[in-house]
Amino acid sequence: MANLTTRFFGLKLKTPVIIGSAGLSNSVEKIKLLAENGAGAVVLKSVFEEEIYNEFQAEFKKQAADQSNLEYLDYLDYEIKNDKIKQYLELIQGVKKAGIDIPLVASINCTSGNEWTFFAKRLADSGADALELNLFVLPSDLNRTSEEIHNYYFTTINKVIEQVKIPVTIKISPYFSDLGRMIKELSETKLAGITLFNRYYNIDIDIENQELVPAKILSNPTDYLQSLRWIGIMSGHIECDLAASTGVHDYQTALKMIMAGASAVQVVSGVYKHGYDFIKQMVVDMAKWMDDHNIESIPELIGSANSIKVKNPAMYERIQFMKHFGEFDKVVD
Amino acid sequence: MTTYTEYLKERREQEWRVELRKKLKGKERTDQARVHMPEVDPMERVKYQNVEVNTGLNTEQAIKEASRCMDCANPTCIEGCPVGINIPEFVKNIERGEFALAAQTLKMYNALPAVCGRVCPQEKQCESKCFYTQKLDKPAVAIGYLERFAADWERESGNIAVPECAAPNGIKVATVGSGPSSLSFAGDMVKMGYDVTVFEALHEIGGVLKYGIPEFRLPNKMVDVELDNLRKMGVKFETNFIVGRTASFDQLKEEGFKGFFVGSGAGLPRFMNIPGENYNGIMSSNEYLTRVNLMGANSDEFDTPVLRGKNVAVIGGGNTAMDSVRTAKRLGAERAIIVYRRSRVEMPARVEEVKHAIEEGIEFMNLTNPIEYFADASGRVNKMRLQLMELGEADASGRRSPVEIPGATEDIDVDMVVVAVGVSPNPLIPACLPDLKISKWRTIEVNEGMQSSIPVIFAGGDIVRGGATVILAMGDGRNAAKSMHEYLSTNPNN
Repeated sequence: MANLTTRFFGLKLKTPVIIGSAGLSNSVEKIKLLAENGAGAVVLKSVFEEEIYNEFQAEFKKQAADQSNLEYLDYLDYEIKNDKIKQYLELIQGVKKAGIDIPLVASINCTSGNEWTFFAKRLADSGADALELNLFVLPSDLNRTSEEIHNYYFTTINKVIEQVKIPVTIKISPYFSDLGRMIKELSETKLAGITLFNRYYNIDIDIENQELVPAKILSNPTDYLQSLRWIGIMSGHIECDLAASTGVHDYQTALKMIMAGASAVQVVSGVYKHGYDFIKQMVVDMAKWMDDHNIESIPELIGSANSIKVKNPAMYERIQFMKHFGEFDKVVD
Repeated sequence: MTTYTEYLKERREQEWRVELRKKLKGKERTDQARVHMPEVDPMERVKYQNVEVNTGLNTEQAIKEASRCMDCANPTCIEGCPVGINIPEFVKNIERGEFALAAQTLKMYNALPAVCGRVCPQEKQCESKCFYTQKLDKPAVAIGYLERFAADWERESGNIAVPECAAPNGIKVATVGSGPSSLSFAGDMVKMGYDVTVFEALHEIGGVLKYGIPEFRLPNKMVDVELDNLRKMGVKFETNFIVGRTASFDQLKEEGFKGFFVGSGAGLPRFMNIPGENYNGIMSSNEYLTRVNLMGANSDEFDTPVLRGKNVAVIGGGNTAMDSVRTAKRLGAERAIIVYRRSRVEMPARVEEVKHAIEEGIEFMNLTNPIEYFADASGRVNKMRLQLMELGEADASGRRSPVEIPGATEDIDVDMVVVAVGVSPNPLIPACLPDLKISKWRTIEVNEGMQSSIPVIFAGGDIVRGGATVILAMGDGRNAAKSMHEYLSTNPNN
């Protein structure tokens, strides 16, 4: 039987299927089910600085109508933060106490420099096995240069790594004009892994009311292609472990990502759509495929089709639809 | 049934008020400048913990200030008062020299006018709604100073009116805690003939009035006079009694108590939980002020004197922070610093407290926020790192938000830090009563009549509000008294 153990977050994982950050893991019972169905690790739902700020503002609106209790509310954000950390701690302790043997990864998303280190340290102290930085700057600020954005990334990462003793990874977006170089430079920090790519909240337009509305939340099975390309391009050029995220809806896609160079994949939408069996089936099917192809372990597969090893690596960097690479000129009726 | 508005109108039409209004023309009133409260010299007063800063108006000053009041047909000042004191009536009584009647008017609504006259944030309450503020853009009538004057006059005259109480009805009720909400509740219930016992965990009665507010703002003797009044009315006090530990609610019920008012306050310190906050020399404002105000720890003769720092930083911008930093100054700090993440304008503290603090040489490091503490080899704090802030967009509090300036930090030497970033509700009573409904912020949930999810338990003050003013706490106490009386009258066999 194929050995599905792998390594990510600087940790040994029983399987390469990681449950990505979502509400799927907000209770001990849910984490137990994820583990029992074959998850190799669980990334807990992100602590969002913005959410804390919004909750803080909501309390102001609710309680401070007459300004008589401004002193009480003035630093309530610290209480909200500490409550969130306490919830995390209770969840992690609950999982450990229940004997559920699966790495738990804390996840944070902040906007202020100091909050990254504040949460990193507190969550590391709460017993998390690793930390994932959900670090993203939407490059829509017309006054902010790419250099400033880069500096923000590296300053944050280095500050966090200084503060904690557990492995730190990052999950990023593809929105860099120098994405390849960025990934390489990230890999040269002390990060224990890089996950490509996060799936973000998207907006849509309600044409009847001409207003913005949330777009569909879950990913589609074809959404994996961008992550696949970049893992394939970069995995042969860096030492750091990579994980794939977005659009991993079946075992075949998981295997593709591993062949491209990922040592693990993150799944969320698949579990939401198909339940816990999705994880079990993915793990079983991956193992069967490996057995059928005489592949004994995941490390044998990692990067087997990346840009270094594959026979036509230029395809990873092909982006234009030229006639030379195939025709598609028939409109489907 | 007469509404309050109709009542106020009736009172305004009393002959003496009509005559008094005619004594001075409107312009003669409005041309007068607002009185300045006499104060002890700042450099003198910082030597003493128990010298009250404000010395009070004399008779002449009080009458003159009272004459500024226009006795408006629509007294908007009352709208600003959380307990709806008939402000024009007490002010006009001062103007005509009837100080006892002024005190009597106050006490119809407010059991502790000597306290409220000193600690209420009038600039956000009654005075913010004064005709002068609203229509003339001039300083309001000094309602707070006049309230204090009337209460002090009554006390110093030795003729404090003890309200009449109804005949005893034999029904025992208890309060948990002896702060303003409990005292107010106790006063109203004893007037209605109830047998009231105030249970207090500490050795001193008064709650935050004694342990929280320093004597240079609110002398303990003022509070003691009010407590004495309550004793004269028949209220019983039991100190060193922790309801829920010394005796449970069930045990108290067995002793015959039919109703309970929980006024246990919000005395649980809140910390920021930033690195280094555990070092020696960093304490909560609760601990610092309680030890000084209640336990005399500012004296070196005390068995466990409080720490005295040379460079003391107090984190926060409210009245508690002001009290802490001014106490530190009085205990010999060379530098006593307020560290607050917004600007001075956004500080929640009373304007007068900030003014007094500045006069006393307190330093204000606004737009800074601590992010880490450092210590010497013995574990005593010796430095703190501050994040520099700037003001962003207005947030839901209406104030501009503090926003970090990336990469901008400053280290300052400190040997003592007092963390005054707010408090949380006392967890003891909710812990004793699993059926008691509490909010996510651990405050007791009550209905409009201050009744909790357990029918015989009512609550008010900070244990309900999280943290608010003395006057609001007192208003809760009064509301709860009315409501409990209705409940016990209709449920005699509860």
